[in-house]
Amino acid sequence: MKSARVRIVGPVYGIVTFCLLAAVTGMMVWWTPREETMGDVQKVFYIHLPAAINTFVACFVVFICSVMYLLQRRSWWDDLGFAAAKVAVLLASIVLLTGMIWGRSAWGAWWQWTPRLTFSLILWLLYVVYLMIRPSIESSQRRALICAVYGVIAFMDVPLVWLSTKLLPDIHPKTISMAPEMRLTLLAWFVPMTMLAAGLIVTSMRINRLQRAASEPAEELDEPRLVPAGGQA
Amino acid sequence: MTRAIRHITMLTLKDLRIEARGRQTIGLVVVLAVLIVVVLALGLGSGGGSGGLTATAILWVAYLFGGVLIFEKTMAVERHDDALAGLLLAPIDRGSIYAAKLLANLVLMFALALVVTPVGIMFFQFDLSVAPGGFALVMAVSMIGYAAVGTLFAALTSSTRLAGGLLAMLVFPITLPVVLISTRVLANLFEHGTSLAGSGLALLIAFDLMFLAASWLVFDVVLEA
Repeated sequence: MKSARVRIVGPVYGIVTFCLLAAVTGMMVWWTPREETMGDVQKVFYIHLPAAINTFVACFVVFICSVMYLLQRRSWWDDLGFAAAKVAVLLASIVLLTGMIWGRSAWGAWWQWTPRLTFSLILWLLYVVYLMIRPSIESSQRRALICAVYGVIAFMDVPLVWLSTKLLPDIHPKTISMAPEMRLTLLAWFVPMTMLAAGLIVTSMRINRLQRAASEPAEELDEPRLVPAGGQA
Repeated sequence: MTRAIRHITMLTLKDLRIEARGRQTIGLVVVLAVLIVVVLALGLGSGGGSGGLTATAILWVAYLFGGVLIFEKTMAVERHDDALAGLLLAPIDRGSIYAAKLLANLVLMFALALVVTPVGIMFFQFDLSVAPGGFALVMAVSMIGYAAVGTLFAALTSSTRLAGGLLAMLVFPITLPVVLISTRVLANLFEHGTSLAGSGLALLIAFDLMFLAASWLVFDVVLEA
């Protein structure tokens, strides 16, 4: 019964998200006015800001899952944290790319060490490392533990990264004036972007669960609290 | 409290005694760090840059790699022959074990800095006489933050197959704010004569306190595995 519901809800959610993405893309391309100084390049901003906000949300999900794993030691939290980290990296990559495209047009260079670009880069690096370390740890329990501790520490690092990048010289615009159509399009972009992020986290989580079920015996899916000291990974 | 201090002192001295007798870590780390500075100095060439920002950035590269080796080695000592199991069975608070490892790591890192810093200063014509106290303070506070994170992750990764590589991967991105803040603060101090008060020093101290507290709390869980 549950799987039948999932079989219906999943595709419907995907179709709705896709349709909304198509709609907001149409709004962005044809409906919003062309910005005077930046021209069409300014339109990446509609993707950039919702992606940035959803990156923080995904990072927060990784943090919550990490804390919950440390408290409960249930593999479920590790799988959800892993899924959220993948989405966080994907969204942070979009933020970096759109930021670079914007910067190329505004400053004539793909990269400038401005606080916000540097912050995005470090945030991206923090969560890419989360993904990269996983395959190099063989024991699933140790992998989950290392990733959980890293997930907590990485999230605590985020405000410090933000404050530290403030020491760099800033040429980034502080405020952007927008026409009502622009503001509405920006707000509209938040809906499919958030739906996409949530959908990707859930889908990736289900794949992680299936992979774990295939690679580990059923009784290992929810680990005991303690493992012997000095256990090899 | 006195008991905890006694335990911390005892464990720190134990680690330092092992190092003094074997001298397996410090020699290796100092040579590696000097090599890094030399390679970068040669790579940058005679006109490749001198002054506060270049020197501190390059010194940080040496400290980062040297630090990873120090953290890994001091934790590996406990994993050999299951010494950690004995330590865990002893009536010692896990927080004290963390504090002792951190102190031992810091002593070794300061020893590394004592040798490598003059080499960097010499190669990059960095005039330390402008603010030697400020330089020492900023570097010491930065190293405490770096060692706080490094000691925690060394305990986590020491029993994995790729201990050293994995440790570097985990620690470097977390400590990027420390590197960024200390290089900016030192550049401002040496190039513009900005005072340390009101600079990023408070941020460095915040980093130290936050990660010392977090590592102290999590270390118990880390040692379980």
